[in-house]
Amino acid sequence: MSSQLPPLARLSPRVVADTLARRTLPRAIVRSSQVTLPARLTATARRRRGRHERLELFIAFDDPCSAIAAIDLSARLAGRAVDIVPMPVIERGIEGDPAVGQKREYAVTDARRLARRAGLTLARETPLRAADTAFLAEWVAAAGPNPALLVFTIAALRRLWFEGDGPIERHAFLDLWREHVGSEPRRDPAAVREAEKRMSRRGPYETPAAWVAGRWYFAHDRPGQICEWLDELGWTPR
Amino acid sequence: MTESLDYFYSFRSPYSYLSAPRVFALPERFDIEVKFRGVIPMAMRGQSVPRAKRLHTLRDVAREAKRLGMPFGRIHDPIGEGALRCLAVSQLATAQGRAGEFALAAGRGIWGEAIDVSSENGLREICRRAGLSWPECQAAVADPTSRERVEHDTAALAELGHWGVPVIALRGELFWGQDRIVDLETALSDLGLLRQTPAAVADDS
Repeated sequence: MSSQLPPLARLSPRVVADTLARRTLPRAIVRSSQVTLPARLTATARRRRGRHERLELFIAFDDPCSAIAAIDLSARLAGRAVDIVPMPVIERGIEGDPAVGQKREYAVTDARRLARRAGLTLARETPLRAADTAFLAEWVAAAGPNPALLVFTIAALRRLWFEGDGPIERHAFLDLWREHVGSEPRRDPAAVREAEKRMSRRGPYETPAAWVAGRWYFAHDRPGQICEWLDELGWTPR
Repeated sequence: MTESLDYFYSFRSPYSYLSAPRVFALPERFDIEVKFRGVIPMAMRGQSVPRAKRLHTLRDVAREAKRLGMPFGRIHDPIGEGALRCLAVSQLATAQGRAGEFALAAGRGIWGEAIDVSSENGLREICRRAGLSWPECQAAVADPTSRERVEHDTAALAELGHWGVPVIALRGELFWGQDRIVDLETALSDLGLLRQTPAAVADDS
């Protein structure tokens, strides 16, 4: 009986839902991610107005892979009209993730290998506590737009992860801040919460992540692809 | 005695799919045996996979697949019966020394050709491409010990303290992600497992 029905009539709601979830939707997501024309037009318009591209770099100071990403990306993007804006967060990760402790531990191992690729040596063997570096996130998040923030962020991440494994001494970072930014730092936990919300809106759920022109990447995993995306948008090295 | 590594793989993980050609090619360059260990998908182990992660994974894998020259985008998500049937057949394939052929064929079918591996026709086609006998594959799917072995391999990954795939374990050291095979290769070289090419052997003599 059912074989005499037209094909569409044989499709039960369950089959339709299953097909949508397993085939149609994933394919549509992949296809839509390959649409680049709007981003390219926007980039062209920005250049014509003399503006730079903006790359939001979501980092956590207690995350060694954030240190790798900040150092690597700032070097790779030098010479392009792209401003890297550090967005420090503290709370991140998948809500209720039972493996969060394991992931923090593994990040140290992973960062050590990535550092080796870059000719660097990670100085720490164990993760840092987020609470111990929270003041750095609050300083950077509280400051207004300032190119010196990236310089400070990289200097602070280097000190945290590549220049010793001792306790975090705030006065040393205060000296760094004064050297690179100038004014006295201001702590603002609410500004960090704003950065965390912004990261969530952009899509990333973990650090380090780079958001640029509608796409986001894990910044330590995909530096080459970030450069390729910028090339495609016309933000090539000058 | 040949050194070996454990390769933890999920048929529902597109990153596993991306890793497979390079992992199974390792013995061509290194004196190493690859032990395939299929695991039950994270979402079938009660671990949450948020929407943001699912979206990002598809977009990121599409870019990585393009870079690696692998087909991706015509997808049939195998979560559920499809993944379990592939895992059962992978036990047979491993016993017959064809784990690589099966994982590569299944990955390509699932992520690049939208083959439904929960269907008889779909799985039979994958098995044919992998050079496996269909009646033997059907028997493996029906064999409850296949599932037990898969659960054993899944538990082994958890015992190593890891949560995702692909993971490669070498002498207790873990390498997570298709983009960390380069670090594994460094570790294999450090262990002196890089095979000498005929030219290098000639230079040494």
